[in-house]
Amino acid sequence: MEKSLIIKKIGEILSKTLKHNNFEISDSLSADDVEGWDSLTHMLIITEVEKEFNIKFKLKELNKLQNVGSLIELVQMKIQ
Amino acid sequence: MLFNSIQFALFLPVAFTLYWFVFNKSSKSQNILLLLASLVFYAWADYRFLILLFASILINYYVGLRIFRTEKEVNKKRYLWLGLIFNIGILFFFKYFNFFAESFISLFNVFNAGIKFNALKIILPLGISFFTFQMLGYIIDIHREEIEPSNNLLDFSVYVAFFPKLLAGPIERAQKFLPQIAVKRIFNPEQATDGLRQILWGLFVKLVVSNNCAIYADNIYNGYASANGSTLLLGAIFYMFQIYGDFSGYSNIAIGVSKLFGINLMANFARPFFSTNISDFWKKWHISLTSWMMDYVNNPLSFKLRKFKKVGMSLSIVCTFLLVGFWHGAEWKYLLYGLLHGIYFIPLLLMKNSKRSSLVAKGKLLPGFKETAQMTGLFFLVCLTGIFFRADSITDAVKFITGIFNPSLFSIPVFQYRAIAILTLCFVLFMLVIEWITREKDHPLIDFETKYPVVVRWGVYYALSIVIFIFSGGAQPFIYFQF
Repeated sequence: MEKSLIIKKIGEILSKTLKHNNFEISDSLSADDVEGWDSLTHMLIITEVEKEFNIKFKLKELNKLQNVGSLIELVQMKIQ
Repeated sequence: MLFNSIQFALFLPVAFTLYWFVFNKSSKSQNILLLLASLVFYAWADYRFLILLFASILINYYVGLRIFRTEKEVNKKRYLWLGLIFNIGILFFFKYFNFFAESFISLFNVFNAGIKFNALKIILPLGISFFTFQMLGYIIDIHREEIEPSNNLLDFSVYVAFFPKLLAGPIERAQKFLPQIAVKRIFNPEQATDGLRQILWGLFVKLVVSNNCAIYADNIYNGYASANGSTLLLGAIFYMFQIYGDFSGYSNIAIGVSKLFGINLMANFARPFFSTNISDFWKKWHISLTSWMMDYVNNPLSFKLRKFKKVGMSLSIVCTFLLVGFWHGAEWKYLLYGLLHGIYFIPLLLMKNSKRSSLVAKGKLLPGFKETAQMTGLFFLVCLTGIFFRADSITDAVKFITGIFNPSLFSIPVFQYRAIAILTLCFVLFMLVIEWITREKDHPLIDFETKYPVVVRWGVYYALSIVIFIFSGGAQPFIYFQF
């Protein structure tokens, strides 16, 4: 899958879960930059990402995520 | 040794002088002094548990290295479990053994088993909840491959035992602390004076605000059976400011003292009363504990329960806050305190709009009507849980709450020394106003140096010091030292 398509889908998941579009999706975007993306909503976002790409994450992988860029990399690795 | 004691007032300058003028040759000599000072500090409070502190240091140091150096995952896990069992084991024995034994026996006695229970006389080692949690986080982080273990026993010992944070936190993370002491610290006058200013504010909040509130909270709680509704409500409010002043004051002093030694600790409070929802509140109240609980309890638990979506998240947060409550002590009332806070999260999780911002009225002088209503509502919800926290038992707390909600709520509060009570409320108000104005900053006096001329600065220092000397509300130990 093209990286741009993954970015687009993750952006959609974020706006759907957080109910707003006040962010510009990029590799360096992190949870701290996005209103409402905190430890409470994080796992909801992750569940949606798993469902969308039909993948399963490990907790260890999630703990290492730094920003949207590393999430995209992880998704790319999983769907290959 | 208490921060607000004569011993500490003598200990601190001696440690400071030796640190910067005698043991200043290398990071090693600085760390030797810090370790020695920390041991003296701990021994002064309770020398009997120095062995426990040493055991904890040695075992966790060893476990951390073994987890990292062992190749096979299954063996890494074994070492992790060894560490978990040791840390949770000592905490369980010293803090929770009697509670569980007693609860099991009462359960059996429901079936007329007729078992008698003689509680063991176990003394709680000071700071155990704080340093054990620090150690648990350390070994879990190594296992998660988020940090590498320390391979310097001296540095590691200082990380565990560093005296400003040893007895009541902040529950510091290794990745932030260890790099700071791996290098030789050079005296930075700005950092040190900032530390002194933070200590001054901490002393004011603890000695003037908290200790005076304590007098009234104690009075009202002790005689709650005969007090009217409005008096009880006032008692609950006094207690909320007592505990806030106590622990945020302590944290400011701890962080300030640490700055005197060139080490920055993490923030523990960030004006929690200026929050519009419960999630926001816990991001600002006892931050080092909440972030610990989120990383090591809520995160893995909500991961396991993620397929149940919002229901799973709600269950996870309730369990996490039950543990937050239980962390405070082996009593049912603390469990209920945690449970209530966990329940407060559920509407937030289920709400359709999850917009949250952590700074109220950003860039504005005053909050709007909606924000004020939300902050006030939240304050009273938190006050309600504070009643369970403070009362001797759940029964007393329930009686206290039913006492508030009766027609006498609309009468005038009745208690002794009203004039001083009004003065105390003025101090509370003063603290809130200052904290509101400086709510975007680490502590209220942080940019004093650059913002105000010398006359104003020293005027404020003297004024605060004089207020502290005149209005200190009697000797009150720090509440969080008992956890």
